[in-house]
Amino acid sequence: MTIFIRFIIISTALMFFTFFYLYINDDKYYPGADFTTSNMPDFEIKDLYSERVFSVKDLDGSYLINVWASWCITCRIEHSFLAKLESNNIPIIGLNYKDEKDDAINWITKFGDPYKYIIHDYKGELALDLGVTGAPETFLLNDGKIIVHYRGEVNDMIWNDVFKPVIMKENIFNAN
Amino acid sequence: MLIKIFLFFSIIFSSFTVGESLYEFDSIEDEKRFYTLIKEIRCPKCTSGSLASSNAPVSEDIKSKIIQLIKEGKSDKEIKEFLSDRFGNQVLYNPGFSKDTYFLWFAPGLFLMLILLFFFFRKRT
Repeated sequence: MTIFIRFIIISTALMFFTFFYLYINDDKYYPGADFTTSNMPDFEIKDLYSERVFSVKDLDGSYLINVWASWCITCRIEHSFLAKLESNNIPIIGLNYKDEKDDAINWITKFGDPYKYIIHDYKGELALDLGVTGAPETFLLNDGKIIVHYRGEVNDMIWNDVFKPVIMKENIFNAN
Repeated sequence: MLIKIFLFFSIIFSSFTVGESLYEFDSIEDEKRFYTLIKEIRCPKCTSGSLASSNAPVSEDIKSKIIQLIKEGKSDKEIKEFLSDRFGNQVLYNPGFSKDTYFLWFAPGLFLMLILLFFFFRKRT
């Protein structure tokens, strides 16, 4: 019987050790990443520069949707990486989140425009439907479905570890 | 004298600003439901704080959305589903029973059984 008890105690300890060892050493685990597939919610939002209204119908194909704002410091850091993606022919749609129109336009004029177009979600209605908690956040969209949602700054590391595997698997953006 | 008149009116009108409610509801039941719900839903931007404890912009948006959904006649369950669909299961302090949470629900019973078994066998030896 004592052998049985010893076995239980030792195996429990080993189990905990293995669990935490694996958990701590998992470099590829990103808490900001969500790979649940969901439908792109319906929306009707104006373009940042014009009166043109965009809706979910304008989102055929594959896109990145990047949530940004002029008040967001991390977006400033992320911006150069988005420019790099744009130069690799990856279409990015900007979702300007809870921002004043003038501030947003000034910001883009100052730092460059990597976006195909920018929609101006002043009240954050679409953002709420998307489950956005702040800026920056980035979505990968394929045929009207959200397949990746990343909360936080996208950089080389996040791109390679979070987005690229999905892009390769789904064979989108010419598997860039 | 002018100051006295000013003070008199400011005291009279101050009651209007204090008395105004932050959110508007159709009934007292709706208001009670709202205040119960915001204690049961976590602010997605906070490490661990309920919507009730948070003034983060996203929490304010969610609170307005909850009021809108209450006014549309949605049940508490539907409101919670609406939010967990968008912000994930972690927004609920009391997560429902699903394939992701079954271990969470069963683990205490399982551990209790193991401990009971342990004592049961130990007495016999």
